[in-house]
Amino acid sequence: MKLMLGALALGGLLAGCALLNAPPPETSGNTGGYPQPSQRQAPPPAAPGSQPAPSQESPNVPPEQQAPQQPSFTLGPAATALVGDAHTQEQSRNFGLATETLERALSIEPRNPLVWIELGRENILAGNPAQAYGMGRKALYLASGDPRAQSSAWQLIAASLRAQGRNDEAYVAEEKAVALNPN
Amino acid sequence: MGLVVGGAYIYYLNLLVTHQFEGLRWTLPAHVYAAPMDLYAGLPLSEPQLEHELQRLSYHGVTDLEQPGTYRATDNRVDVALRAVQFADGSRPATVLSIFFGPTGIQDLRDSSNRQVPVTRLDPLLIGSLFPVDGVDRIVVTPQEVPPLLPAALKAVEDRTFDTNRGVDPFAMLRALWVDLRSHRIEEGGSTLTQQLVKSYFLTNRQTLGRKVREAIMAISLASHFSKDDLMNAYINEIFLGQDGNRSIHGFGLASEFYFGKPLSELDLPQVATLVAIVRGPTYYDPRSHAPRTLARRNLVLQILARQGVVKPEQAQVAQQQPLGVTIGASGAYYPAYLDLVRRTLRSDYPEKELTEAGLSVYTSLQPRVQELAEQSLDAQLQVLDKRHHRHDAKLEGAVVVTSPQSGDVLAIVGGRNVDFDGFNRALDANRSIGSLIKPFVYLTALETGRYNAATVIQDQPVSIKLANGRYWRPENFTRRNYGPVPVVRALAESLNDATVGVGMDIGLDKISGTLQRFGLQRAPDQVPAMLLGAIDIPPLEVAQIYNGLADGGFRTPLRAVRAVVSADDKPLKAFPLQVTQVASSADVYEVESMMEQVMTHGTGVPALRILPPGLTTAGKSGTSSQDRDSWFAGFSGGELAVVWVGYDHYQPTGLTGSEGALPVWAHLMAGLGTTSLEMPAPEGVTDTWIDYLTGLGAQPGCAGAIPVQVALPTGTQVPPMPGCGSGTTAGTLLDRAGKLLHRLVH
Repeated sequence: MKLMLGALALGGLLAGCALLNAPPPETSGNTGGYPQPSQRQAPPPAAPGSQPAPSQESPNVPPEQQAPQQPSFTLGPAATALVGDAHTQEQSRNFGLATETLERALSIEPRNPLVWIELGRENILAGNPAQAYGMGRKALYLASGDPRAQSSAWQLIAASLRAQGRNDEAYVAEEKAVALNPN
Repeated sequence: MGLVVGGAYIYYLNLLVTHQFEGLRWTLPAHVYAAPMDLYAGLPLSEPQLEHELQRLSYHGVTDLEQPGTYRATDNRVDVALRAVQFADGSRPATVLSIFFGPTGIQDLRDSSNRQVPVTRLDPLLIGSLFPVDGVDRIVVTPQEVPPLLPAALKAVEDRTFDTNRGVDPFAMLRALWVDLRSHRIEEGGSTLTQQLVKSYFLTNRQTLGRKVREAIMAISLASHFSKDDLMNAYINEIFLGQDGNRSIHGFGLASEFYFGKPLSELDLPQVATLVAIVRGPTYYDPRSHAPRTLARRNLVLQILARQGVVKPEQAQVAQQQPLGVTIGASGAYYPAYLDLVRRTLRSDYPEKELTEAGLSVYTSLQPRVQELAEQSLDAQLQVLDKRHHRHDAKLEGAVVVTSPQSGDVLAIVGGRNVDFDGFNRALDANRSIGSLIKPFVYLTALETGRYNAATVIQDQPVSIKLANGRYWRPENFTRRNYGPVPVVRALAESLNDATVGVGMDIGLDKISGTLQRFGLQRAPDQVPAMLLGAIDIPPLEVAQIYNGLADGGFRTPLRAVRAVVSADDKPLKAFPLQVTQVASSADVYEVESMMEQVMTHGTGVPALRILPPGLTTAGKSGTSSQDRDSWFAGFSGGELAVVWVGYDHYQPTGLTGSEGALPVWAHLMAGLGTTSLEMPAPEGVTDTWIDYLTGLGAQPGCAGAIPVQVALPTGTQVPPMPGCGSGTTAGTLLDRAGKLLHRLVH
């Protein structure tokens, strides 16, 4: 079970961002020019630095019959483009450049836990798990009220702990991640 | 014999010239850049604000987009011909961008093919250079970056036979000699461009006959070994063109930025003519100090250009009607206090020689808009305070530090009133007693013990503590009154000294010292009771570091002025990535922050309400040292943290509390920033709760006789009700949340 959870955390995080719905690498240009428009549908725009936006309601169900929706964080178009750029840079193993690009995204959405999770993930890849841990804690703090984002933050924390050899603590973090988002 | 010696001397000079000139490499100071502004849909930036940013970068408004460096503003739309620029993380070619505005800011960005652009950056503003002790500053340009008009103009005005002469122009020299002999002194040089280059690169400024001979021999030698193109390019990069304090401006590349704030390639005819005019005497023809005579010489240059056929007479006529058009400031953007921090940051990684000679590019966190606002806020408020608290023996001084709490970026530093003065930097070096700025850390430490919360009633009563020397320390409140039982929130909001000392002595000085160091205090303070009232001498930058963690939910992020260093050939050398470490429970910090919000609405921060925009939520704390020697205010919004110090350099009493001296500076700065409200995410374990400000008892808004304030309390805390205010409150009810909403609407 421990192994399974560990694989889940590391795999999910390092494989890049299924949890963030980030655009594929080819969607935006490198720093040599302007990022190109996204070829996939961008997530609903969130005001930069905003609190969680309510999830989209199902169009066929009257609002009064719907169960209360949990708020969820999303990335705005600018941060989405920059995260895409960072993934491209990451694929060419240019982690330093990817980190700088993600810091640009952070300056646009400083209170969005998803950006912090991306930055933490990059730090694990770059071999800085202690920094990734701090970013995971920060993401968890900012993700208040969004279980999915909290779960992702715990996954990052777990991955950073495991990368530091703190396996027991990593296991506890992974359990928290799963409990918050069993799917 | 004489011939042999002469021949040997010529041979020696020939060797010297060819050897040195072949290996010609100018020492290049590090150039320092501000943070480039990101543009994206949703950015709350108005059209006039964007225009202001473009003008700061020396973009010029035009009716038809021309070359890079121009923009066209129409209704709710700005088209910009962006320059090719180098960032810390890559380059961008010159391109055209259209920016569309809506009621709340930028609505859309499009490229020249009308494709949507999610995000892009403006150019990074050059904010200064780290030049060597000799003060030589320079931007080297390639021949491709030089407008063809410049070499043509230089030849027409300074050296008409440049293309054909052999380094010297005997007729010009004879003419100069004749003039000199007639006046019995050296009035005319008759020097070719090659001779001027030799003079600047190899020789001293002394005008002696021997030196003239040496100059001529070396010029002939240069001209015989190197092409005219090489010599012209060397001249354009070498020649001295102005002085800015202890910084000397060399080469047309830097002169263009220095006088006109834009690249050499963008200069128009009158501007090129101005630079050519300055060549004759950069001090005498300083366009800022001696505009009329520089204008007259520029017009003479234009007439010569027309006469020589370099430009058409009608072009010269039009150009003569233009003003000089030099920028007002010495370099447009010069922030010595910030550069000081940059230099100190880099000094640990780079030897001085590499910093000042290797042509590094240094990319910083400085935001020019924030910097200028901080400078203006300090200057304007100190002028007001001067009128009220004028001393004949000293001048009131101040310092400001602004950070972005989430990233730790230092956005602005003001080191004193005279912002152009590259001297004592109060923001970094004025170690001043922080007074009550320490109190949030005293109460944070108290909360961490689990024995206190914001509603805990403590005693504000006279305190008498026996010191190690046998004497007694008897601190007093600012009002010299005691208030008896008060809740913690009031003790912090009104900065009650006696109540705070009581709590501090109860929890222990060592614990409070530990908290301060966790947040970034560099040295352990003396653990004496006076520490509880801020007997800790640190500079504003260090205050900003420890407050940054309060503004960021208990996360410590080392402040950083430098983001990246790039080599002369654009290779990344060093990055300063963001670091973050949790140093306190977010729940405890959230509780302290909720009390610091009450400082602004019920305590010593209230005077700021007259200045801040209505409805803006901020948190902060004032500080005043003994005998009003130091006036402090440190506070934050949703976007920025600012620390302000006001006082005298020689520690004379100011007669100003933190609320009277530093707070107005802080409030005007925050108001001007257009910052966002503080909305920290409520961590698990605490709940926003309404209590009475005076008693700490539960009291919802609308309860008669109560002063309801909202503070965070540990979830489940039982708060007895205020008489007549209904049943007791348990932190965490739905009513609290409704009340919070109501409170936000009212304020």
